[in-house]
Parts: sequence; C-alpha cells; structure tokens
Amino acid sequence: MDSTKKRKVSALRVGTVWLILTVLLVVLSITAINVGSAGYSIKQILSAVFSSEKSTVKVVVMNLRLPRLILALLIGASLSSSGAILQSVMRNPLADPGTIGVSAGAGTAATTILLLFPQLTGSVPLFAFGGAALACFLIYTMAWKGGVDPTRIILSGVAINSVLGAYNALLQMLHSDSLEGVLAFMNGSLSGRSWTQVHTLMIYAGIGLLLSFLCIKSANTLQLGDEMAKSLGVNVSVTRVLLSAVSAFLAAATVSVAGMIGFVGLVVPHISRILVGSDYKQMLPTSMLMGSVVLLAADTLGRTIVPGMEIPVGIVMSVVGGPFFLYLLRKRGKMIGN
Amino acid sequence: MVINGEKLNIGYGDITVVKDMDINIQAGKITSIIGPNGSGKSTVLKALTRLLPYKFGSVYIDGRNLKDYSSKELARNIGVLPQMHSAPPDFQVKELVGYGRMPYQKWYQKNNAEDDRIVDWAMRSTGVWELREKSIHECSGGESQRVWIATVLTQQPEILFLDEPTTYLDIAHQLDMMQLVRKLNKENGIGVVMVLHDLSQALEVSDWIVVIKDGEKYDEGTPENVITPKMMKEVYDVECDIVHIEGREKPLIAYREIS
Repeated sequence: MDSTKKRKVSALRVGTVWLILTVLLVVLSITAINVGSAGYSIKQILSAVFSSEKSTVKVVVMNLRLPRLILALLIGASLSSSGAILQSVMRNPLADPGTIGVSAGAGTAATTILLLFPQLTGSVPLFAFGGAALACFLIYTMAWKGGVDPTRIILSGVAINSVLGAYNALLQMLHSDSLEGVLAFMNGSLSGRSWTQVHTLMIYAGIGLLLSFLCIKSANTLQLGDEMAKSLGVNVSVTRVLLSAVSAFLAAATVSVAGMIGFVGLVVPHISRILVGSDYKQMLPTSMLMGSVVLLAADTLGRTIVPGMEIPVGIVMSVVGGPFFLYLLRKRGKMIGN
Repeated sequence: MVINGEKLNIGYGDITVVKDMDINIQAGKITSIIGPNGSGKSTVLKALTRLLPYKFGSVYIDGRNLKDYSSKELARNIGVLPQMHSAPPDFQVKELVGYGRMPYQKWYQKNNAEDDRIVDWAMRSTGVWELREKSIHECSGGESQRVWIATVLTQQPEILFLDEPTTYLDIAHQLDMMQLVRKLNKENGIGVVMVLHDLSQALEVSDWIVVIKDGEKYDEGTPENVITPKMMKEVYDVECDIVHIEGREKPLIAYREIS
C-alpha cells in the first residue's frame, strides 16, 4: 500500500518536472521573440508576421529572432543529451563533451583555419566538425587496449586535450592581433546566425537526438557496472564506442554552428538526475527539455542585459550557471547522498 | 550442463595468477572454490565466465569452446554475480531484476508479459517480492544482495556463479544467503559455483569443494574429504580440529584457541 503510493508520487514528480519545463519553454520562447534592442508587443508581432507586407518588425522577428530561438533550443537539447549519454559511458557525472576532445578538436581546427587560412573562413563549421570527430577518434584509438575503459578514455583525453590546448595557445600568441574570430568561436555565440545554420543543425541535431533515444537502454545497463553488464550479455566496449559516437556527433554538430558552449552538457544532466532520477528513460528527455530552456534563457539574457551589447551565450552560461549549480549541489546534494 | 576448464593459465598483464588449472563444474551441484587471499579463486571464476580472458588453456561448456559462445548465448546459460556491482541508488528493485532478461532480447526490445512472469518468479524465489516497488537505496545490504541474485536468476541460467556473495554481510544475512543458495539448488535444480571465504559455510552447503593455493589446485572433493586439519595447516597455515556434534549432520571447524 505504502510502496504503491511511493511509485505514483515518483511518476507524478516526473510529470510535474516535464510540465514546468514545457511551460518555461513556451514563456521563454515568447519572451525571446518579444525582447531585444527593439521591443515589440505580441500584438505588433502577430499582425506583422501574418501580414503580407514586408515590415521591419517582420524582418527582425522572422530573420533574426526566430532562427536564433530555434538554434538555442536545438543546441541546448543536443549538448545536454550529449553530456547525459557520455556520463553513462564514463560512469562519471563529471564527463562532458570536452572530455572526449570534441571542444579541443573543434577549437584546434577553427583556430587553424581562422588564423592560418583566413580565406577558408566560410568553411569553419565544416572543419570544426571534422576536427572534433578527429580528436575524438584519436582519443579512443589511444585508449583502446582490448576494449575501452573509462579511466583510459579520460586519461588519454586529458593528454590529447592538453597537446591541442598548447597548440591553440601558441597559434593565438603568434597571431595576437587577429583573434577576434577565434575569440568569438571559443566563447560560443548565437549572434548573427540565420536560417542557413538552422537548416543545417535541424538535420544533424534531428538525427543525433533521435539516435540518443536509441541509447537509453544501453546507457542504463552501463550504469550497472562493467562486469554486471558483461554478464548480462552486453558487449561493453562496443556499447561504449557507439554511445560515445552519438554523443560526439551531437556535440560536434553544435560546435560547428555556434562555437564552444560549455557547462550545459555537464550541468543539465546532473540537475535532471537530481530531479527525476538516474533512469535514462526519464533522465534523457528531461535533460533535452531542460537544456533547451537553459540555453534559451542564457542567450536571451545575454542579448538583453546590457543594452546595445551582446554577451556571448557561452559566457552567460558559465557566469550564471556556476553559482546556481553550486547552490543546487549544496541544497539537494544531501538528498541523493552526494 | 558441464563446464570443463583445461590447463588454464590466467593473469593480469605479465603476471600469471593461475597456473595449469584443470577444473570441472557439474550442473545441479553446489561447488565452492576456497583458498587464501590472493590465491586466485576469483580469477578462476572470472575465467570460467569469460569476464577475464585466459592466456593458455581452454574452457568448454558441454563440449563447446567458451570462445564460440556469443555474449547473449553465454548469458542465457550461465549467470554471474560479480563481487563488484552497483546500480544507481534510485533504481527500482523490479526494474533492476528486469535487466536479467536482456540476454533474451534485441537491444530495442522491452520486457514482454513472459519476461515479466519470469521476473516475478525470480523475485518470489529470492524473497524480494515484497521489496519490488522500493528503490535500491531503501534496501539493506542483505536485501540488495538478494535483489542482485534475483537479477541473475532472471537470466534463467543452468549454473549460477557467485563471487563472494556473503562478503560485507552480517552473520544473519550470510546464513540467509547460504540458505537461499541451497534452496535455489534444491528446488530449481540450479547449479551454483561460489567463491567463499567462510570455510564453515563452504563445509555446510557445498556438494564439492575446490581448494586453490598459490594459483594451483591443491585438492578437490566432497567437503568432508577436503576440509581436514592437514589441508587447513598446509593451505591456510591454521591449526584446527574437525569436530562432530550430536544432532548435526555436518561437522564443524574448531580453530585452535587464541592464546
């Protein structure tokens, strides 16, 4: 009697979390369309969008704010999903796409193109994606020794990240006068993105997010420990590589469109776990939804808080996210025994 | 089902832990592997269940090489409860036990009615039915060990491998665990292979005991034939008597008094 009650409360809890996140998502989306360097009322926007005339309002909303809104939602969901999957692969809540070299690889490729081959600047997204994939592949190759084990992945990740980081630092020092583009890339931003990027990311994030739903069962099994998973007939190393590939794909897709945005992939899955538990059936969708909410909130804040100036979403995420995460850890950590 | 390990050499890196081990496991029997710390007991168990690759030698299950079994096929024939296992503390008992059906499913399949029936059976057989709605962290150490046994049982294996199933449990739960092992063996005909530290328990529940010393098989046989003062002295360097008490079927180990 008592125990059935407990089960119902838990389902209710997941439902409540999802409902709140959805409401937040809708409210934030409307806000993101309304506010900006020029503020419009909902009525103004609606009448402009649905009229056949080409007004300033329509151009701002349809060509600037709407694509940016969609990008924020897709990137937030992708990064969170990527982080959530990687945390099961590593059996470590501190894993994020940076761990497997996605950020360093993309950063290296982008820095190289922007500073050494500026004539190719238009292809930075493509190179960033390739760089991310390459760094990730390199880390897994180094870590492979009759199978992959999380400690070896993390350690070879540390090694390769540090080499790439040194290369990036050196390149930046040698070209310290032309760092504008590099800085913009390193501090991920959604500024000035258009429908072109939305279309690209829709395809990649769409595929990636769909694939991550297929990872749910495997992610859950990895949480039981390697030996237990093996004795249940799971090929642990192959599972790890496949899940990592999905995670890297999602993160690389976002990096190539928006540059490096940290923190979302690390923190959102963690908060989701505190709210709805470790079962990926609930945890993964919660992470995606919350990732969208968080990134949209950060981006909207970044472009409105200082009038006439845009603060990159990556910076807002870290500045606001860090203290909030600390607060959450102290407040809720006790409940789950962290 | 019979499992034969022939001339097994097992080790980690360059170190050989187990040398030229021949070992036979009979289905339907309770076999205990005993030996001092570091003697290679768990290593043998891991090699027989393919959790650890062996360097030389071979393992056959019913005459077929262990290497020819697919992961899932193996998991349908033998169930292994490793010494180290963990689940996220908020996982629900019945959900965890449900993972035991994975060897019977494709990666995208969920438990069907038949799977649920087997999960229920496993939970009832191990006495965790009452706990099914609870989360793992609400279970005591003894309870959660039973839940893990239920998970492995859900694989419907012919032989169950348990690596030190009583370590970390208090004496009541240790005895409880041994009772459960005996019950599963008697009522369901499941073979059990255990690595045990407690020799009294090995003596009490086993049909067959394998003694390992320094990575080599020292002796094997029925408990009464294997657990002798001579073996205790040579393998563990411990003085003891084997005493019979009226009204008890099995003898007891009386260790020399600590002076």
